[in-house]
Amino acid sequence: MSTINFAAREINCKIVYYGPGMSGKTTNLKHVFSKVPAGLRGDMVSLATEDERTLFFDFLPLDLGTVQGFKTRFHLYTVPGQVFYNASRKLILRGVDGIVFVADSAPNRLRANAESMRNLRENLAEHGIDVRDVPIVLQVNKRDIDGALPTEMIRAVIDPKKELTLFEATAHNGGGVFETLKSVSKLVLDRLSQNK
Amino acid sequence: MIEPTLALYGDAFERVDRHLEELLAATGVRYCLLVDRKGFVLSHKEALWAPRPPALDSVATLVASNAAATAALANMLGERTFSEQIHQGEQGTLYVESVGDSALLTLIFDVSVPLGRVKVHTKKSIAQVALILEELADAPPVQFSDDFSSGANALLDDLFG
Repeated sequence: MSTINFAAREINCKIVYYGPGMSGKTTNLKHVFSKVPAGLRGDMVSLATEDERTLFFDFLPLDLGTVQGFKTRFHLYTVPGQVFYNASRKLILRGVDGIVFVADSAPNRLRANAESMRNLRENLAEHGIDVRDVPIVLQVNKRDIDGALPTEMIRAVIDPKKELTLFEATAHNGGGVFETLKSVSKLVLDRLSQNK
Repeated sequence: MIEPTLALYGDAFERVDRHLEELLAATGVRYCLLVDRKGFVLSHKEALWAPRPPALDSVATLVASNAAATAALANMLGERTFSEQIHQGEQGTLYVESVGDSALLTLIFDVSVPLGRVKVHTKKSIAQVALILEELADAPPVQFSDDFSSGANALLDDLFG
């Protein structure tokens, strides 16, 4: 659950962008960083390899403003997508309040999408969290690439029961980035008000 | 509940604040932060003479992530945890020590401050702060009024369109 500091009148929530390697998680954060007014966001921290693949995480603090006298702040994180960085992914999920699952539309990434979702379920379970206990939004990214898989085919391997809100996106030009973030933010704040 | 929440308020917050003030004065460090394991700053103090602090959000996030990675390493090596981390550079030191299972006390200081002195005083403060955080576990659950959601949604509409 969110960290609430009554004395400082602050509510802090942690949102994690999850998904297979190269699906566009960091690109989502970079777009948010580039478009949100400087006064509302902090520095973006990227712990990446030399070829800009996320090594540990990217981090972006975002101030939403004040709700009922509480300064409301979101901390956005990405996880490293590559399979072999699972230990890092697990650590970053600690204390998560909301998740954006970024799926890749490339035709050869269908299995990677499915495996990443399975990995998410397993890692949440290791923290004692059922996947249904966390607000999750599905973003199907790279809709503009040649041969992009049909959205419903991607959903079928990630969310066969169609439980998640889905957004199509082209994160490299900002398409769908804020719609996705707004949706997961609403889910997180709704849960906070329901005291779950 | 996804993760135990730390709702710091009222008397507890003031007492934690006081301990940080005392620690700052006793050790001569520049900055003193209490950070939760999720990477959020719960309370912070800085010496009057200290230069403008670094981005505390980022410091807290990296400290908490580092502590999580260190704890994972400890488990792999058969330890329950490694309770302290020390990062020493040419100009300064970052010292982090666990406060129970829920928080981390972080001190940042320059070479004029002896590490031994910091450790001694920090351990005293940790014992006191840990007791306060334990008391918080019994605090009543946080309640927001019904119109919290509508206020939050209006904010999101403003910011994200």
